[in-house]
Amino acid sequence: MSALVIALVVWLALWALNVWLAESPVSRTRAGKVLVPVIFGATVLVLWEGLVRGLGVAPVILPAPSAIAAKIATSLPMLWQDFAQTILKGAIPGFLIGCGAAFLTAIAIDRSPFLQRGLLPIGNFVAALPIVGLAPILVMWFGFDWQSKAAVVVVMVFFPMLVNIVAGLQASERMQRDLMATWGASYLQTLVKLRLPAAMPFIFNGLKIASTLALIGAIVAEFFGSPIYGMGFRISTEVGRLGLDMVWAEIAVAALAGSVLYGLVALIERWVTFWHPSQRH
Amino acid sequence: MKKLLMAAALAAMATGASAEDVKLQLKWVTQAQFAGYYVAQAKGFYEEEGLNVTILPGGPDIAPTQVIAGGGADVVVDWMPSALAAREKGLPLVNIAQPFKSSGMQLTCLKESGVETPADFKGKTLGVWFGGNEYPFLNWMAKLGYKTDGSPDGVTVLKQGFNVDPLLQKQAACISTMTYNEYWQVIDAGITPEQLVNFNYTTEGVATLEDGLYVLEEKLADPAFVDTMAKFVRASMKGWKYAEENPDEAAMIVLENDETGAQTEAHQKRMMGEIAKLTAGSNGALDEADYQHTVDALMAGGSDAVITKAPEGAWTHAVTDKALAN
Amino acid sequence: MRNLLPILTILAGIIVLWYAGTVWLNSAWVYDQAQRTGTTVSFSEMVAQTMDQDRPVLPPPHQVAAELGKGLFGQAVTSKRSLIYHGYVTFKGTMMGFGLGIIAGVLLAMAIVRFRVMDMSVMPWAIISQTIPIVALAPMIITLSSRLGLEGRDLPKAIIAAYLSFFPVLVSMVKGLRSPDQMQLDLLKTYGAGEMATFLKLRLPASMPYFFASLKVAIAASLVGTIVGELPTGAIEGLGARMLIGSQFGEPLIMWASLFAAAILAGMLIVAVGFVERLARRRMGVPG
Repeated sequence: MSALVIALVVWLALWALNVWLAESPVSRTRAGKVLVPVIFGATVLVLWEGLVRGLGVAPVILPAPSAIAAKIATSLPMLWQDFAQTILKGAIPGFLIGCGAAFLTAIAIDRSPFLQRGLLPIGNFVAALPIVGLAPILVMWFGFDWQSKAAVVVVMVFFPMLVNIVAGLQASERMQRDLMATWGASYLQTLVKLRLPAAMPFIFNGLKIASTLALIGAIVAEFFGSPIYGMGFRISTEVGRLGLDMVWAEIAVAALAGSVLYGLVALIERWVTFWHPSQRH
Repeated sequence: MKKLLMAAALAAMATGASAEDVKLQLKWVTQAQFAGYYVAQAKGFYEEEGLNVTILPGGPDIAPTQVIAGGGADVVVDWMPSALAAREKGLPLVNIAQPFKSSGMQLTCLKESGVETPADFKGKTLGVWFGGNEYPFLNWMAKLGYKTDGSPDGVTVLKQGFNVDPLLQKQAACISTMTYNEYWQVIDAGITPEQLVNFNYTTEGVATLEDGLYVLEEKLADPAFVDTMAKFVRASMKGWKYAEENPDEAAMIVLENDETGAQTEAHQKRMMGEIAKLTAGSNGALDEADYQHTVDALMAGGSDAVITKAPEGAWTHAVTDKALAN
Repeated sequence: MRNLLPILTILAGIIVLWYAGTVWLNSAWVYDQAQRTGTTVSFSEMVAQTMDQDRPVLPPPHQVAAELGKGLFGQAVTSKRSLIYHGYVTFKGTMMGFGLGIIAGVLLAMAIVRFRVMDMSVMPWAIISQTIPIVALAPMIITLSSRLGLEGRDLPKAIIAAYLSFFPVLVSMVKGLRSPDQMQLDLLKTYGAGEMATFLKLRLPASMPYFFASLKVAIAASLVGTIVGELPTGAIEGLGARMLIGSQFGEPLIMWASLFAAAILAGMLIVAVGFVERLARRRMGVPG
């Protein structure tokens, strides 16, 4: 039980520290903005460790963070191989192809209000569907390797992206478009100089959604058939082998990869849409 | 060890509300593979013993070993390789009964892919399920001397899904099949037996024991639990023997219990017929020679061996002796 | 109604493409089978055979429609073979997860807006939580909840659904609760309104449009979570379980029919939420 008590004390102490930090001027600095969530994460880990040790939870049910960290340290090559297969070969190409295809489709139907009126409601509807259910079918079509995983990701990100881009392209105001017209701007010039920049907040919103979908899609698709490496493969097989530390190691990698991808999109967004009110601080 | 004991104690508290309640976790979805238990339930064999049995169907992401470790079940149906591997990982499972005498696992290949003997596997893509079912396959490959990492002298291994599509779509030269399930899906799809080559694990000498009943070692220290399990095994075996004799009725009982409503009568009746061949000749008691054969097979893989040291106390006759005494 | 014609045109296009895909994807099997039996098939024979296979790679629309019709209307709704029954199971799970998700999202948003420390500590982790593949956690959630004595399959499923659906609610509510501007806040201060009164009279009403807008996203997320929860774990009842069984037993038609049943369910849920949203907006006097 002592482990539990220690964990609780440490947890309370760190939480108090966080409360103090958040109210102090430190919280306005960049370091403070990073520090507070990191401390929060640490408190959760300490509590987790304490609970597992204090209550004697079997490692086959819930391994302690220290055991997971040890597993990560000793299986880096395997984690890297899985990461390369699932994220680099499955999720990223699927993400790029899906977003690219959505962008091209949006531009292609941009000049036809008829097609837009037809495609938007369908796109909105499909974006809300449980596309995950298509995973077993796509695995059957595209084989077991990364191609089918990329295909699942493409289908998953395409519609949310399409809907966002089309909405974004309509975001510029009448007055702004009229102004472009008075300057004699061509369709292409209006698109590149006004409407695409105006669409950027929408596009990045879509990209953020797509970045998390991409990971989920690539991992879920591996549950339905895969070569003998990949994050989804490892997770589903290690659960069967009671290698729960390995499962959590993969989850940690997935969370890290997802956060980095999301952060990257957010960073580019800040850089591209510096003019938008939501980016002013 | 202390941790595990505590976990087991907690599990016992969580599940042992009434001594005669038994929760059985199946290895896979409701199908004729588990007919004996459903028959025992439907025919009231459990009730006659004073048991209240809950049958929990499994699924692709349900590992019976994890469920029993988490206290979600008192007894699980699992394959011996998976149970022994779990034992080596620190989860002391004990085989208390072995209703399946023979193995139903085989590797089914399309003749047109050019596979006729195990020597032809080299460089081919072979499918197998994972999640505890891969051990017999990996063990066989190790025995044949094939690496399973996709190197040119070895074989490429696919984690096959839950169906036979990889073979039909020619994504794999061979896939794993059970005599009672996947093999018939291939036939149903329109491929004739003559177009297939089957490698049966029993004929290849690499068979391992399949569906057996496993419990946590700690719980066997309690005589009351042993007593309950004896009643459970006795009633289950009665269910199995009834199912063997009345396969069609057993299949219909299974169908009634299938909550997905997606199973078909034809499939289940045929599956029951094949299952009956595997359970034939077992009275429930584990045959020590079969056990030794499984252990030897699993340890034969050298560095890739599924288990590294001979397990001790991985089975007991305590339950079946009691169950079959009268 | 202005959109009807364009939508129908697109749908017609999709169906034409679908039939083309059916022929293309299913033809390999027809040719393989012909080769195995040593016969040849003409193009028109091939096309005819792709339309009516037992386990097509891509079933043609009419085959799916027939299977869907059989599942929906072929038997009593209480039958385990009825898609309505399984749809109801999935619907139940979705609503439980939706409810849990809303409660969690709103409470968390309130805490985040009230306490700076919550904002700074929890918000980044809320985003990270969504990058974790929830399916990976599903088996563990089930084992853990059975360990804690929570029986039944509904709760683990609802937890997974709630895990996906709390996030959009959280994000919108944080935005909504913060939407009153300084002038409005100052005004309430001059009235001598306390923190509670400000919350009830200004922040909460101001957040409502944001709240309702997030519900559409949340209900869709909740449905995805429920189906994912049914897919690999338990495989007992619900549309997700049927998809799985269809896949496992090589019955693609069952899988496709369940997929479309799920789509219909999604459509009904979105329409229902949209209706509630419009009703609420009208009552609160929001134009549009």
